[in-house]
Amino acid sequence: MPFDQKHIRNFSIIAHIDHGKSTLADRILELTNTVSQREMKEQILDSMDLERERGITIKLNAVTVTYKAKDGEEYIYNLIDTPGHVDFTYEVSRSLAACEGALLVVDTTQGVQAQTLANVYLAVDNNLAILPVLNKVDLPSSMPDLVKDEIENRIGIDCSDACLISAKTGFGVAEVLEKIAKDIPSPSGDPSAPLEALIFDSYYDSYRGVVVLIRIKNGSVKVGDTIRLMQAGKEYLVTEVGIRTPNEMKTLSLDCGEVGYLAAQIKDIHDVFPGETITLASNPAKKPLPGYRKMNPMVYCGLYPVESKAYPDLKDALEKLSLNDASLVFEPETSKALGFGFRCGFLGLLHMDVVEERLEREYNLNLILTAPSVVYHVNLTNGTQIKISNPSELPDLAKVASIEEPYVSASIMSPKEYVGPIMTLCQDKRGIYKDIEYFDDTRVIVKYDMPLSEIIYSFFDKLKSFTKGYASLDYEISDYRPSELCKMDILLNGEVIDALSSIVYKPSAYNRGLAIVCKLKTLIPRQQFEVPIQAAIGGKVIARADIKSMRKDVLAKCYGGDISRKKKLLEKQKEGKKRMKAIGSVEVPQEAFMSVLSIDDDMK
Amino acid sequence: MALPTSLYIHIPFCRHICAYCDFPKLFYKEEWGKAYISALFDELDSYNIEKGSLKTIYIGGGTPTALDDELLSSLLKKVRPYLSSSYEFTVEANPETITQEKAKILYTAGVNRVSVGVESSSPRLLKLMGRAHSFSDAVTSIAILKKIGISNINADMIYALPTETYEDVKKDIDAFLSLDIDHLSCYSLILEGGTIFSAKGIKEAPSDTQADQYELILRCLRKAGFTRYEVSNFARNGKESEHNKVYWRDEPYYGAGLGAAGYIGNKRYKNTLNFNTYCKGKHLDYEEEVGADDDVHYFLLTNLRLAQGFHLATFKSRFGFSLEQEKSKELASLKKNGLISIEEGRLYCTDKGLLLLDSVLLELF
Repeated sequence: MPFDQKHIRNFSIIAHIDHGKSTLADRILELTNTVSQREMKEQILDSMDLERERGITIKLNAVTVTYKAKDGEEYIYNLIDTPGHVDFTYEVSRSLAACEGALLVVDTTQGVQAQTLANVYLAVDNNLAILPVLNKVDLPSSMPDLVKDEIENRIGIDCSDACLISAKTGFGVAEVLEKIAKDIPSPSGDPSAPLEALIFDSYYDSYRGVVVLIRIKNGSVKVGDTIRLMQAGKEYLVTEVGIRTPNEMKTLSLDCGEVGYLAAQIKDIHDVFPGETITLASNPAKKPLPGYRKMNPMVYCGLYPVESKAYPDLKDALEKLSLNDASLVFEPETSKALGFGFRCGFLGLLHMDVVEERLEREYNLNLILTAPSVVYHVNLTNGTQIKISNPSELPDLAKVASIEEPYVSASIMSPKEYVGPIMTLCQDKRGIYKDIEYFDDTRVIVKYDMPLSEIIYSFFDKLKSFTKGYASLDYEISDYRPSELCKMDILLNGEVIDALSSIVYKPSAYNRGLAIVCKLKTLIPRQQFEVPIQAAIGGKVIARADIKSMRKDVLAKCYGGDISRKKKLLEKQKEGKKRMKAIGSVEVPQEAFMSVLSIDDDMK
Repeated sequence: MALPTSLYIHIPFCRHICAYCDFPKLFYKEEWGKAYISALFDELDSYNIEKGSLKTIYIGGGTPTALDDELLSSLLKKVRPYLSSSYEFTVEANPETITQEKAKILYTAGVNRVSVGVESSSPRLLKLMGRAHSFSDAVTSIAILKKIGISNINADMIYALPTETYEDVKKDIDAFLSLDIDHLSCYSLILEGGTIFSAKGIKEAPSDTQADQYELILRCLRKAGFTRYEVSNFARNGKESEHNKVYWRDEPYYGAGLGAAGYIGNKRYKNTLNFNTYCKGKHLDYEEEVGADDDVHYFLLTNLRLAQGFHLATFKSRFGFSLEQEKSKELASLKKNGLISIEEGRLYCTDKGLLLLDSVLLELF
């Protein structure tokens, strides 16, 4: 039975990390009796283990609930969850495109954060109705009036009618549900027009092929229809449609305005990408819906299996992951030290971290990641420009006229007492001061232009520690600027290890080189022979540390019962060794390749 | 597999508890001693050890000589008949427990080897370890043993103790050589959980310090005519410990008593550490059937402790495949790094390799 479009509400929740988005979603599911108490667990929409453990939302997720409003009418609510971290802005834009409204959840003990601003602007751009929801009003440090002012003055959203809630206790959530029906517009599609369905996410299921999450903009689709993927030009027979509550529930059709899933035995994962439009083969739409802005990866790193025979598995896993993570890009590369692997592009470091963990957990792979790098533009003496994302590709210095690196415009929001330390930090990281704005009486937005490469090296952690965790950061790529850069090689036992090469800012190369060799010395276990570690620029060694050879590891005493214990210990150690990569004859633990990330330039 | 020809017996009683000891032990009480010996006899009977079938017996502890004379005699009498005509019969003893009477009991019961827990010559280090004797007690006890007719004597020495210096070790070596015995066991301090040292937060000396002190000991003892036949064991005049070599050759042995381990047929077992459980007659804690891979690992980790190593032919006939072929790459790299040597079909660790035995084994596992 097609549901009256007027009773459908499609919305998402925008919130900063820890401001209570997932908790509010949990309450909504409870109050609408979507999930029984028995099934209820915290952060129910965060279905990945990784999400629950870290308390963050990484992937968007959609759920359909029914709500009986006070006017006696029954409504269908489609809640499309969104991630909150700066790396995942792209995912946010995808979910917003499938909605007519958004709840703006702000923690009243903390106020609006930089990243929330960015997402709200995205929502405003998408013409969404925005309902301000002020959370955590049960806490003593809650300042709802101040936060109201902030939202009104900074974002220009009327807060006179804002909901005051505590997602934790459930206070005020019922009112939020009412307001969704009242204030968020219903979808405005034409049920009799040709089908236009926007794919906003997809995942792979070995029985049903690719399952896509779609929003029906116009028309409708049912089991047995032949659909066409408008940009791929492929046609498929629909085998199943349904909604997620959040468990999948089959329906006969998906109708105009609805959000749900669709399966059509799509076996080739390359055919589907988010932003694609589905229409009917028999009565096609004239042109596809506006898709998504393609996000360019900002950070690249090499991804290698520890055991080279796992290369095909890694390839397969990356293809499947990229199916519902369009921002992940990868292409094969070869390293002298690490063998066959992939150069992968990510939206940021958290994204990289998440992909690594998903590959290791969901696909049971044992991986080595090389230190992340940005994309450099290298101007050659012959007048051409090449783009490199792998430091070892940097041509011979004689052929290089100049190197440009990506800069970002960074906005740091913080209580004003931390302005000093923030400026010091930005200056240390080669930031160029732009502006300081007063956000309100107590908080400022500090703006700097900075090299992206400095942001990926421990900037965020330092910012948090400099400001006792109060500062939040937002940034976007602005432009490429020439910098004094050079390639630094790391030699182990006299051999250049390509996977450890990095592109560094020349004036701080010496300190960084020293810091890296010292760090590696602590990470690489002592071996059967002495191993020198050197940092070199253009063949000239600038720093060195030696790992002395190990001299004694034998247990002095080993009798009777000790033998069994010793054997088990050794076998366990042997397993541990599998997580090390033998480079030449040196055994290097995985974390060594990422060591440059956690380095302080002033570490000696 | 053939039945064991060796027997280990554990006596868990002590008159003092040492700071580093993690062997099963408790303070001696007469009624406990009686209950224990009775349970121990039951366990021994359960193995149906044939008369005259054993080549070695080793009674360790704890402190076997902490037992009352009567109990000690009854134990020695119980096991003596197991031994064949040519045998090695060792009892461990602490210097302060070796009196004329005790020595006589041992000698008359057929004990022909005593291992004395001398540990150090330094009053400071002996105190630190919580030992109840002085070095002169050790000198006296060894004189008593020799006089009564037990000339095959070992002294245990512990080095790399907290605060112990290179100079301390030098003095120890001289003192131990002055005991004029033919066997020395030199162990670097191993810090185990549940000991007084670990409760005090004491850590093992850095491995470089251990290596320095070990190499000093090796050098000096070699000069004095000793051969290091196992990682921590030194002998001259042919006085290697036959019993311990059974362990290191990965040969079977019976183990009886609290917490003792044994290896019979293709089964390895370990006894309970719970004194009450043991005295109630339930001695077994766990038993492991040794699989093919396990067996190779056991073989390597024991045999490579011996300076002689093992014959590759012995390996092949026991396991049915050739180690040189199976691990050719690993053996070549170990050889290149100077950790092993293969001579006339015998694979053994070099001086450097013996100290890095864990690294060697990790390559070969």
